[in-house]
Amino acid sequence: MKRKISVILSLVFLILLFWAQWNWKHLSSFPSIISSFYSKEYCSCYFVMELSEEQCHDFARQWVPISEFKLDKENLSVTVKGLGRTNTAKFQSKEYGCTLLNE
Amino acid sequence: MKHILILFFVLFTYQCGKDLSPFGGEVNVTPLPKRLKPEWPNPEWKVVTPESVGVSSAKLKLVDEYAFTRTGDDTDRKGRRTDAVVILRNGKLIYEKYARNFKQDKVHITWSVSKSILQTMYGIAVKDGLIKLDDPGYYHYEPLSRDEAHKKITIRHLLNMSSGLTAEEGYESGPLKSSVIAMLYTRGRQDMGSFCANLPLRSEPGTHVYYSSCDTNILSAILKKVYGKEEYDKLPFEKIFKPLGISNVTFERDGSGTYVGSSYLYLTARDLAKIGYLYLNDGIWNGERYLPEGWSSFTRTPAPGYKTTPYSEDLAEDNYTAHWYANTGVPERGIHEPWPDAPKDTFAALGHWGQMMYVIPSLDLIVVRFGDDREKAFIKNDFLKLIKESVIR
Repeated sequence: MKRKISVILSLVFLILLFWAQWNWKHLSSFPSIISSFYSKEYCSCYFVMELSEEQCHDFARQWVPISEFKLDKENLSVTVKGLGRTNTAKFQSKEYGCTLLNE
Repeated sequence: MKHILILFFVLFTYQCGKDLSPFGGEVNVTPLPKRLKPEWPNPEWKVVTPESVGVSSAKLKLVDEYAFTRTGDDTDRKGRRTDAVVILRNGKLIYEKYARNFKQDKVHITWSVSKSILQTMYGIAVKDGLIKLDDPGYYHYEPLSRDEAHKKITIRHLLNMSSGLTAEEGYESGPLKSSVIAMLYTRGRQDMGSFCANLPLRSEPGTHVYYSSCDTNILSAILKKVYGKEEYDKLPFEKIFKPLGISNVTFERDGSGTYVGSSYLYLTARDLAKIGYLYLNDGIWNGERYLPEGWSSFTRTPAPGYKTTPYSEDLAEDNYTAHWYANTGVPERGIHEPWPDAPKDTFAALGHWGQMMYVIPSLDLIVVRFGDDREKAFIKNDFLKLIKESVIR
């Protein structure tokens, strides 16, 4: 019985490994989505649409919670950390709004 | 084993032989009614009572109730969450209301409504003779010349959302493989046009309609090459917004300075209505023609690729045209009008989370609605039905 379970578990693990390798392109960039989405959409909500801080958190919030957040009113930027990745969006001007800075 | 094979066979052949043309006939795009006396906003709309232009205030209250009755609070982000509604009849403003801290002078994200304004930029480029609808994209944009298949993608295919590129438009539903999420936030954000042009093809260009933000951002990148960076930077502001009296506007760009035409244009509700009014007047503003003759018909005709697009249940949700939506249905394909209770000539610019702008030529109406709906609680057909019923003459 024990042997059967370990064979099944190894099989599942192998399939998972293959799947991960097959989808590596998507998987490797996935963790960055949380912080880049939050920082970009918060930046635009606050500096472009000029809504309140509370409303902008509600606007940018996702299912996965973030771990760090910094709204820099002086430098017109928003930095967010989530799933171990950090991203910053910066307000450029009234015409061009916010852009994510390069990773 | 035999049973499994049979099951697979049945699943694969399920869609074959389905009757796709129960209604028959061609798509019928009626010409725009002749407009005798447009009321140009110079620069603002004239405000009048609904009754003075044949609309019932009492019936408009039902529209108000539908749009602004909240069914959930902001923490759960549920229900209809309307931020703004603006209604115009005969070029005059008859209804305007804002909620959730939005005001007349605050810009709102329009998400995919931006695509329809990028289409306006194309109308201008075509009128200026800089681009032709049937030009292959690679004539103007090198990344589309990666192989013979990609070279077949034309400007018209891209405007009709029929490039054939293997994009995945899933948003919250499937973030892992969504190319729109990767384009906006991760692998594509530095240069969205090039990220999208490098996707492989899944079908012959022009044959399948697949709604894709990638098609729009390739179009945006093409315009940058056509105009050159300096002129492109000013293009929407100088050629569209300024002539229409729109000064409070933001158009965000990707890491390489290309307008994110798929998603990131911010306008006030009153100003978005001006774009609708330009199309209602067949591309003419203040007596001057801005969009080429025939552009409005092109805008209101469902994408030809619908005729050969494989059947799916969500095909009938909206009839995509050339970066706009129409209420014509695609009878040849068995696709009904998406908003059966609205006039058949209604056409629209629509965006994520409930952004919408309708143009109804037969009733001389423009309707703008902004919101932040995170679930499908705002039913477009119900909203349009109430608006139609408020017109008394």
